[in-house]
Amino acid sequence: MPEQRCVIIGNGPAANEAAITLRENAPDMRITIIGAERSGHYRAYLLPDFVCGKVAEESLYVHPPAFYRERNLHLRLGQSVVNIDFHACKITLDHKEVLTYDGLVLAVGSKPRIPEPLLIFEDLMLTLKTVRDAHIWRERLTEVDSALIIGGDLTSLSFANALLTMGKQVKFMLNEDSFWPVRCTEKILSEASEKLRAKGVDVILSNKIKGIAQEKDDRFHVETNARNFHIGLIGAFFGLRPNVKFLAKTGVLLEKGILVDKYLRTGFENVYAAGDCAQVYHPEFKDYWVSIGYRNARNLGRTAALNLLGGKFQADVAAKNIFEVDGIVVNTSWWTEF
Amino acid sequence: MSESTENASRDVVSKGRVEAGIVYSKDPADFYYMSVNVPCQNACPAWTNVPAYIRKVYEGKYAESYAINRMVNILPGILGRICSRPCEDKCRHGDSDLGHPVNICHIKRSAADLKREEPSVPRSRFAQNGKKVFIIGAGPAGLAAAHDLATVGFDVTIYESLDKPGGMLQWGIPEFRLPRNVIADETSAILDLGVTLKTGIKVGKDVSLKDLLSQYDAGLVATGCYVSRGLDAPGEDLEGVYPGLEFLMEVNAGRRLPIGKRVIVIGAGFTAFDCARTALRLGAENVSICIRGLEEELRVTADEIHEAKVEGVTIRPLLLSQIIVGQSKVEGVEFVRSRPGDLKPDGRHRSLAIPGSEFVMPADAVIVAVGQESEPLFVNDTDTKNIALNPDPVSNTTGAPRLYSAGDFTTGPSTVIASIASGRRAAERIAEDLLGWPVREWVVSIQETQVTDRQREWDYIPRVEMPKVEPPSERLDPPQREVETGFDEKLAEEESKRCYLCYLHYEIDIDRCIYCRYCIDVAPRHCIKLVEKVITNEDGAVTNLVETGNWRKVNAVVIDNDQCIRCGACLRICPMDCISVSKVQLLDRMIPSGEQNA
Repeated sequence: MPEQRCVIIGNGPAANEAAITLRENAPDMRITIIGAERSGHYRAYLLPDFVCGKVAEESLYVHPPAFYRERNLHLRLGQSVVNIDFHACKITLDHKEVLTYDGLVLAVGSKPRIPEPLLIFEDLMLTLKTVRDAHIWRERLTEVDSALIIGGDLTSLSFANALLTMGKQVKFMLNEDSFWPVRCTEKILSEASEKLRAKGVDVILSNKIKGIAQEKDDRFHVETNARNFHIGLIGAFFGLRPNVKFLAKTGVLLEKGILVDKYLRTGFENVYAAGDCAQVYHPEFKDYWVSIGYRNARNLGRTAALNLLGGKFQADVAAKNIFEVDGIVVNTSWWTEF
Repeated sequence: MSESTENASRDVVSKGRVEAGIVYSKDPADFYYMSVNVPCQNACPAWTNVPAYIRKVYEGKYAESYAINRMVNILPGILGRICSRPCEDKCRHGDSDLGHPVNICHIKRSAADLKREEPSVPRSRFAQNGKKVFIIGAGPAGLAAAHDLATVGFDVTIYESLDKPGGMLQWGIPEFRLPRNVIADETSAILDLGVTLKTGIKVGKDVSLKDLLSQYDAGLVATGCYVSRGLDAPGEDLEGVYPGLEFLMEVNAGRRLPIGKRVIVIGAGFTAFDCARTALRLGAENVSICIRGLEEELRVTADEIHEAKVEGVTIRPLLLSQIIVGQSKVEGVEFVRSRPGDLKPDGRHRSLAIPGSEFVMPADAVIVAVGQESEPLFVNDTDTKNIALNPDPVSNTTGAPRLYSAGDFTTGPSTVIASIASGRRAAERIAEDLLGWPVREWVVSIQETQVTDRQREWDYIPRVEMPKVEPPSERLDPPQREVETGFDEKLAEEESKRCYLCYLHYEIDIDRCIYCRYCIDVAPRHCIKLVEKVITNEDGAVTNLVETGNWRKVNAVVIDNDQCIRCGACLRICPMDCISVSKVQLLDRMIPSGEQNA
């Protein structure tokens, strides 16, 4: 489909790698990238360092606007897709514009996951997934001297480090559900607690938040089944949830993310999914698996693009104990390197 | 509407009866109009007049709103809590460009909660006719049938095998979703019509069906589905494995079952969700609902899924149970992972096992909630031969003369509102067969009305969700504490504002229209059309509009009531005053004694 139109929904590593791969292999193809955020493609794993001032904002961004112009990649930022008609090959944007496509790559990424029992406190907690989130943290951290981290995903530990370098007091609430995306064990819990405490982090072993009340702009009262305390800010770090709600009832198969086969096919012709919105069956895990991390996302984006162009490449699903964090490949004991 | 009744609604009488300026039509074309243009009412198995009762709530007339509900669905306070809400799936406000469906169910509950006076309950306009009918089962179908038969002069006796009326409402739905005083109040209102209730009597064991048939003029079997289906998997007889319905019945009877901390629920319906949430209230800490298919294919409401998750239940999709594992007591379930296959006729995907994906999920208790079926009931035809009843869900008759059936016994497991509708249909059939004439009829009422005070900005009000006990940890103790706390007057008014009031019918008088197209300019969506041709069916109902962009081919400007959101903008802008509005309602009417042949 060299002279046809390919639309890529998403503007993260999988989406950008897919676009670059398509352009390299199909010089005449019309390629459109639709990103919901207004900012360009950035390295999300650097956000903790940006919050604490270790890196400048410019360093977050991967490509300047000229990069897209030179490659004739149409970049639409700040536009959300609200519906896709996979049978008619039509995409509806939130401002009612309808786009047609011949090929489609769904690389819509994910958003911070708040466990349902904690949704009642969602407005009282900050997350760290986007540049905008990072700016909010920077601003709010000027007003407080302490922060609570709940959860234990890939970002949480590097962010705890970032807070410590800023001289903030850090409390870390750990429990067996903390280490998304893997299940925590007693051994992991004890190792992680020890390392955190050695750095001066106040570890709270608790599996239930009974209440959070905001007493002032910079003061929250937190009640857990272990103990009660006051804190300046609260961050939720429970990992990510594929950003696929808008695809409900469209016919595409959804579990947590978009179910695809090993070639990243969705079941609709010329429609592929890549990055951390895609779920592939993982024979070793005996489960559907979302590959996370920057490098995995780029690999999947490239595979989806090549297959869209007629290739038959299998997704390189990460081994179950391999993740990537902070740009380096680590195994699931990443907390030991904290 | 048919062309004839459209005229009738303005000035002349056509096929319908006219009473106090209202046309009552039985024209099939008008029934077709209602089925397409008032989708909420059409989706309700009992045909509840949704726009009318929502409007009454907006006006603060809660008792009247309750009465409109009660007229057809009999148990509004109960349904306002636990209805499966097929109406909301069809609500026009839920169209992809219009936001979210109106919270119809909870508005219904608000009418029940907020009414200050008792609504008028329909009393019989019939004299006692001397005919006696027995009903087996005091669940939703049996109670609805008893209500309708009592109001038209029958002497009704209900035989209930358990010690309280309500059926599945009483025994199958947890108290945290449906407080027992609500069941008591609404069942009492039915029994107060003169219905006799005999509890603790199991027909077929304590008394024979044959004997009952000899004592009564007719009987109705509404015994529901109380037999839990199993998995047919090894290990189902291990200690710690509970059939879903039995589990709920035990807990609802006040028994505290030992279930441990880790509970697996196998099943995808309301019973499975009720079991999972009940398990949390019994002290379980890790509760998973394991389903064969995808979460978005679940048969329960989105609210139910959300609330279960909020309370801590995990839903694990694409799992096929193989074996329940354990020595003498359950230790877990062996599952095989599945992938979605092709679509089945019911719109869900087939589940295909992935070879080699077997794994064991540990558990202290397993609850199997994969469906229920009815217990067979036999009528003793001779001394030696029992005849199965073979109920017919369309006619509500059975293989035995003078014996009818209704509800889940007839159809298999369904919903409370479907059972009520089934019970009412059966009652209508019994009454007509015993009396020789119909006692009720459905009519389309058409009356001129004014444009409402609805404002366009009300269309942008976000859906008002039901307030609940928060944080979720507060819900579990005491375990029977009702989770949903109900709308107050302000919330009820706010949510009722969102209803488009689809029972209003907007129409352009083409003889007076000057084709200025102002109405098209102000229309909020593509609801006013330039048409070349109007397609009708054999009854004269409008089924399609052939639009044209060629001005010379335009034969009419037509309001497509299927797309119309009743904003009234067209009516207000029209310089020729050629747009009229009428209120079109599908109503259930009792035919009073003596009027049957009128």
